[in-house]
Amino acid sequence: MINEDIDIDQLIAAWAPQPHELSVNVDGVNHSYGEGDLRKQVLFNNRLKIRRGEIVIMTGPSGSGKTTLLTLIGTLRSVQEGSLKVLGTELKGINARATTDLRKRTGFIFQAHNLFESLSAFQNVGMSTELMGMKHTHAKPKIEATLQRLGLGQRIHYKPKSLSGGQKQRVAIARGIIHQPDLILADEPTAALDAGSGREVVTIFQEMAREHGCTILIVTHDNRILDVADRIVNMVDGSIHSNVLVQWNSAMCQILNDFPVFRGLTPSAISQVADMMELKRYSPGAQIIRQGAIGDEFFVIGKGVVDVIVDGETVNTLVDGAFFGEVSLIKEQPRNATVIAKSDVSCFVLSKDEFQAVVESNSTFEEELRKAIFMRQ
Amino acid sequence: MSAPTPLAWKNLTHDPRKLMIAISGIGFAVLLMFQQRGFRHALFDSTVAVVHELDAHLIIFHQNRFALSSEVRFDRSVLDVAASTPGVAAANPVYMENQLARFRAPENKARPIRVVAFDIGKNVLVKSSVEIALQLPSLRDPGTALMDRLSKQNFGVDFTAVQPDGSFRNQSAELSGKQLDVVGTFLLGRDFAHDGTLVMSSNNFARYFGYRGADPLTIVDLGAIRLLPGQSIKTVKANLRRQLGPQVTVLTKQQFVNKEIDFWARNTPIGVIFAIGATMGFVVGIIICYQVLANDITEHIGEFATLKAMGYSNAYFFALVVRQSLYLALLGFVPGLICSWLLFQVNTSFTGLLMNLSWDRALFVMVLTIVMCILSGLLALRKLLAADPASLF
Repeated sequence: MINEDIDIDQLIAAWAPQPHELSVNVDGVNHSYGEGDLRKQVLFNNRLKIRRGEIVIMTGPSGSGKTTLLTLIGTLRSVQEGSLKVLGTELKGINARATTDLRKRTGFIFQAHNLFESLSAFQNVGMSTELMGMKHTHAKPKIEATLQRLGLGQRIHYKPKSLSGGQKQRVAIARGIIHQPDLILADEPTAALDAGSGREVVTIFQEMAREHGCTILIVTHDNRILDVADRIVNMVDGSIHSNVLVQWNSAMCQILNDFPVFRGLTPSAISQVADMMELKRYSPGAQIIRQGAIGDEFFVIGKGVVDVIVDGETVNTLVDGAFFGEVSLIKEQPRNATVIAKSDVSCFVLSKDEFQAVVESNSTFEEELRKAIFMRQ
Repeated sequence: MSAPTPLAWKNLTHDPRKLMIAISGIGFAVLLMFQQRGFRHALFDSTVAVVHELDAHLIIFHQNRFALSSEVRFDRSVLDVAASTPGVAAANPVYMENQLARFRAPENKARPIRVVAFDIGKNVLVKSSVEIALQLPSLRDPGTALMDRLSKQNFGVDFTAVQPDGSFRNQSAELSGKQLDVVGTFLLGRDFAHDGTLVMSSNNFARYFGYRGADPLTIVDLGAIRLLPGQSIKTVKANLRRQLGPQVTVLTKQQFVNKEIDFWARNTPIGVIFAIGATMGFVVGIIICYQVLANDITEHIGEFATLKAMGYSNAYFFALVVRQSLYLALLGFVPGLICSWLLFQVNTSFTGLLMNLSWDRALFVMVLTIVMCILSGLLALRKLLAADPASLF
């Protein structure tokens, strides 16, 4: 029933990462600027978990607090309230030494390139490898290869004065990634770049994420690079408005698409519903639903085996991809069977209330169509 | 770690125009310090030059003589006692006159001059000044003297006048109203109290300055004590003190020099003026150097903040600024030194003051320059440490 392209194990792992897998764990972070009467809160109770090797794209209007959150994660600001763990270190009350240690493991790419005019492209990038104590003989081919890859092969020893804006930005990117950081924080890294070099940059990001488990957080409005994101976080007015694990969302969309119940929904509504899907896990012998109880949840078995029992008799055994409880999304009826886990079972669960909230808040298909036509003018 | 990128040097030398301005500014401060210290040293060096010329281990003078120029004298009999003190080889008198000695060359005004005299037989200047020693025979004649070539030009004596055979051409003049022949020259240098110096025998001295007493030679200015070989200066000095009583003071030559310098440095405004001048040079240097460094930091604040975000620690920035200060100091010092040396030559030829640029004095100004630049570097460092990497996003 579930599309074979979907890797269920990976989905389950992505849903609830183990603490040691987390690169960034933002928990209940508030932040304010100013003192006294001028004090203005800009971050409100933010929560965000980013796994090692994940590429996160953060979007949101300016003033939404995404930059503040980025600087907090990058240890460039001190945490006021809440807990913020980066690469296993709690940032609240961190000392100066631990801060520099953490910064060395982080690669910053700023919107302004901030290259030293007095140093060549090579030397500017070298400032990063030197800090890591990398030997010149070891660093030299690496720097050259990276600059080459970013299309600066002919300009390795040029000073910033002789480079274009995009070239300078690429040197700054090379400086931010050359030391193989465990975390990259980038602010509009591709804004000054043409499509080709922008693509090369995100390809390098992807390689670093896949091959070295580097976690990458990009603040951007550049929708050309949205496709590399594992997670898209949208911030509005100082809080995380939506936090979508792209792989999870698309997998859930595919699953939902196969059910007639969801057929009336527009793609964006399906995506929203998919976002409401939760993972629930049961150990062998656990009762998932009970016959006669009022049901309000719909289940899809991701992995595992369950017994369906009616009046004390096992009537059926369900495995991966099977579903039950779909009627409860539309009608309130008592459950007509009991379902008990036979093995370790992971289910994707959608609750009725959330489903209906999405349906109600969404305009109808016809309305969407009108909107699309109107926008075209 | 391999040789790191020389960021301090690169940033400093990146813009040659700015670097030149910085170097000239600091060079100017160096020059100012050299000049002021040079004048100060010239004052001291010139004042004690005559003491340095004395062939003596110990010097006796009246306890009330607070400075060389104060002309408080003592009785020659004291030197006879000194001569018989154990360990003493010779106790020679030195006569000096500078308030009342007036020198007049033909068709010139009479001007005060310093006259230094000694017994020809008991020469006290010979050892250090070969030039004087060679001319001793001509000083035996009555009414003769040697004149310092660095004496002021307006005395009206031509120190370059030579006879056809190349020897010095005698020139007639008047000293305190009596005929005087300048029969040769020597080199000493003038100072702030004296425009010129004559050297003559004590016999001639007595002729000119009869007013010093019935026998003018019984009143002496300084006693130059030479020790027997192998005697400890300390012991002999203590012996002399005991023998001579409290009326005179006994000091080693160096102590005497120090006392004289101390007098000028502390008790006259001249020493203070040059100290203030040198301090001004120092302060001007701090301001210029601070401007250069602070401007560099302000212009590159984004880059430095980026380095901070990358994980460069404050210790790195401290080292960076100190290094930059050091480069500035050295780059500014060299042209400052060269200009000062040239200016010293000009000064000496114009003023006759001894402007010596010795290694230790150059080193002292160099240390001052480095301290100056590092101080301003540390002031500028605060700016750098305040760079906020959070402002980069």
